[in-house]
Amino acid sequence: MRNTPWIGPRLYGAVAAVALAVVIYLVGLPEGISVFDTTLADLTLPIALFVGTAGVAITAATARAGRWRVVDIVTASVLGVAGGLVFAVWNAASTPLRDAMVPPTSAIIVGVWLFPAVLGALVVRKPGAAVYTELVAAALSALVGNEWGFSTVWYGLVEGMGAEVVFALVLYRRYGLPTALFAGAGAGVAVGLLDSLIYYPETLGAAGKLAYVLIAMGSGVVIAGLGSWLLTRALAATGTLAPLASGRSAERV
Amino acid sequence: MTALLDGLDIREASRAPLARANPAAKLAVASVISIGLILTVDPVTAGVALALELLALPFCGLSPRKMFRSSWIILLGAIPAGLLTLVFGVDDGAILIGLGPVTITEGSLSSAIAITLRILAIGLPGVVLLATTDPTDLADALAQNLHLPHRFVLSALAALRLVGLLAQEWQTLSMARRARGFGHGLKQTLGQVFALLVIAIRRGTVLATTMEARGFGVDAPRTWARPSRFTWFDGVVVLGGVLVAVVSTAAGIWAGTWNLVLT
Repeated sequence: MRNTPWIGPRLYGAVAAVALAVVIYLVGLPEGISVFDTTLADLTLPIALFVGTAGVAITAATARAGRWRVVDIVTASVLGVAGGLVFAVWNAASTPLRDAMVPPTSAIIVGVWLFPAVLGALVVRKPGAAVYTELVAAALSALVGNEWGFSTVWYGLVEGMGAEVVFALVLYRRYGLPTALFAGAGAGVAVGLLDSLIYYPETLGAAGKLAYVLIAMGSGVVIAGLGSWLLTRALAATGTLAPLASGRSAERV
Repeated sequence: MTALLDGLDIREASRAPLARANPAAKLAVASVISIGLILTVDPVTAGVALALELLALPFCGLSPRKMFRSSWIILLGAIPAGLLTLVFGVDDGAILIGLGPVTITEGSLSSAIAITLRILAIGLPGVVLLATTDPTDLADALAQNLHLPHRFVLSALAALRLVGLLAQEWQTLSMARRARGFGHGLKQTLGQVFALLVIAIRRGTVLATTMEARGFGVDAPRTWARPSRFTWFDGVVVLGGVLVAVVSTAAGIWAGTWNLVLT
């Protein structure tokens, strides 16, 4: 696998991206929806080109980033478990907060549940790190026991993917502050959409749902994005991350 | 904190049929029921699902005390969500109580009942089935029955086992910091949490080296000390979960209250 990067799942991924682009081009996007006075149908060709090239570029980038080593997996797992313990405390501690605040305002605390995704990706710097770390944290949160049961795990998956998309779009090359903030925003949008769909489908109107998603995004940017970036920098300064990709780029003292 | 983690490592072995089912089957049941309920917000579907779940409860092998301990937390989430919908929900139909801007109408009352029942019905199977699932069995089922990448599943399990050690480290850190005369403020606590995270990552990297030294992560076929089997009984359990989702959805459609949440 190390010497033949274009094998198996990656090849399928690239082929699927190209196929999706062709399908978008052939079927065409709907006329009805317009963005900035341009109907989506007029954007069919550029969007199809973007989907195809971005898909191939991302699969190529996952090959370049290399296989997960055991130390990468174990460190991501440890970060996930640490995140799960924080969740366990936060699930219980935030209940009065969540009850006191009315949605959409209650989205302001949602960022705490998103930080393992950004932290894992910043520390381990491998494709899939955001999804994996968030998934482990969510699974531990569910195992300890919370009010959401197994659906916590599905939440973790979606939140992790919200952050992962951003790291994929920068082709797993940039791990600075801007990427961290955007990843936090991506996870925030994901959880905001999921919450307003599952918990508040009838409580909030369209404007309320938009506000909920935007507040969740802001919370993700500040708590998950900025917080994880500061935490990664502090961890790198201690020298603990030396065996990992993020530790090798740390400043020499 | 330790109270929260109580019994995470060792779950009591239960003889109840549903408690002994393969964790992969439990995962499937909880997921299928949640998906069925997430699609709609209506009192009939959620009510029927909740009733069927309560009928299955005696076979889950939880004593009433333990049952209450693991499920009171769902009520904590469901009741406030219902009250919020009652007070702030989209108004519709005859006004029952009106106090200035706050109005409770027939529409908001029925959606409040629907939301509360829905959260209970989504939460209950997950909480009850997880309370009898041992993390080790879950990892075995994920890797062997669902064929998730075993390197990731086993590393997550190994990291989970660090939790007990980290609790001891926390004690050591607390005593060391007390000896040095640190206070108990928020800043000190955050500093101690950070120190614990550094220790956890250090232990993790050492653990990774040890695991690799024993041949973990090589591209050879893996054998398993604890085989996890998916029997015909587990198939029946999954079928039961599918049945709960189908019957409750059918009841909702039959009563005419079923409505797709996305539209």
